[in-house]
Amino acid sequence: MGFLIWLEEGALGIFIRESLWGYPIVLSSHAVGMAIVMGVVVALNLRVLGYAKDISILAYDKLFFIGWIGFIINLISGLILFCNTPTTYFFQGSFQLKIGSIVVGGILMKVVMNSVRGDTSETLTKVASAACIACWFSAMITGRLMAYL
Amino acid sequence: MDYDTYAPLASWFEATWLGGQMREQFWMFPMMETIHFIGLTFLFGSLLVIDMRVIGFGRFINMKAAMKYIPVAIIAFAVNLSTGIAFLCADPFRYFPNIAFQWKMGLIVIAGINALWFWFGEHKELCQLADGEDAPFRAKVIAALSIAIWVAVIIFGRMIPYVEY
Repeated sequence: MGFLIWLEEGALGIFIRESLWGYPIVLSSHAVGMAIVMGVVVALNLRVLGYAKDISILAYDKLFFIGWIGFIINLISGLILFCNTPTTYFFQGSFQLKIGSIVVGGILMKVVMNSVRGDTSETLTKVASAACIACWFSAMITGRLMAYL
Repeated sequence: MDYDTYAPLASWFEATWLGGQMREQFWMFPMMETIHFIGLTFLFGSLLVIDMRVIGFGRFINMKAAMKYIPVAIIAFAVNLSTGIAFLCADPFRYFPNIAFQWKMGLIVIAGINALWFWFGEHKELCQLADGEDAPFRAKVIAALSIAIWVAVIIFGRMIPYVEY
């Protein structure tokens, strides 16, 4: 709790609450980053699930790199947004679910990428892929609902 | 925009059944927002595959197969057009004079023209590309424009609540 209060009263917290354009600009970056991360996750998993089969999954590697750029944008913008009211967010159910979904979704993405390179059965890969999409959508939905719950 | 110009149209949108539901059911707005976000990810993800391939980042993505993401993008756009109309019906007098909303709509029209240019001008030739082969420069310009315009659309959309006066 002490750390959360320190964060809230720190320079980033003050900036994001009081600067006129700070919040909308960081929030917009978070939306763009989301479009990139989620876009890559969706496009890639659609392929793993069997859509557009004529594309080699390995050819998505470069796209995956772009997904990482989106993720870093959102990690940074997300940390700044968190400083707005960390003492509230930290205990908010939708926020906890969001972070949990991102962690599990990230691990599943790694599992899917390893499976398509290895000799994991196609069924198992597809199950992991579907679960991965579900986790990332859960992250997005709970993130959106943070404004309401 | 002048009030007298948009007021009749705004009144019409506001009086629709959808508008009433959006205002009366507390869960309608967040639900539509969530669907709007889901549509956004499918739309932007599809564009990333096609446009990045054309630009040359991920050149080994099979170009012809990448075009299969076009119907995904079109369906996602239809979803976002529908949910977008729902927002508009909820509170048209807020959206019409909003400068970020106006820019967003203008940019979507430009993105549409850009997409038509892609489809009628470049699509056929691009489908002939071998894996790893470089796309023509004009196609790369269209692809870069597409990404830039849609990023701007997302930014202006997100800015809508913050530029009200």
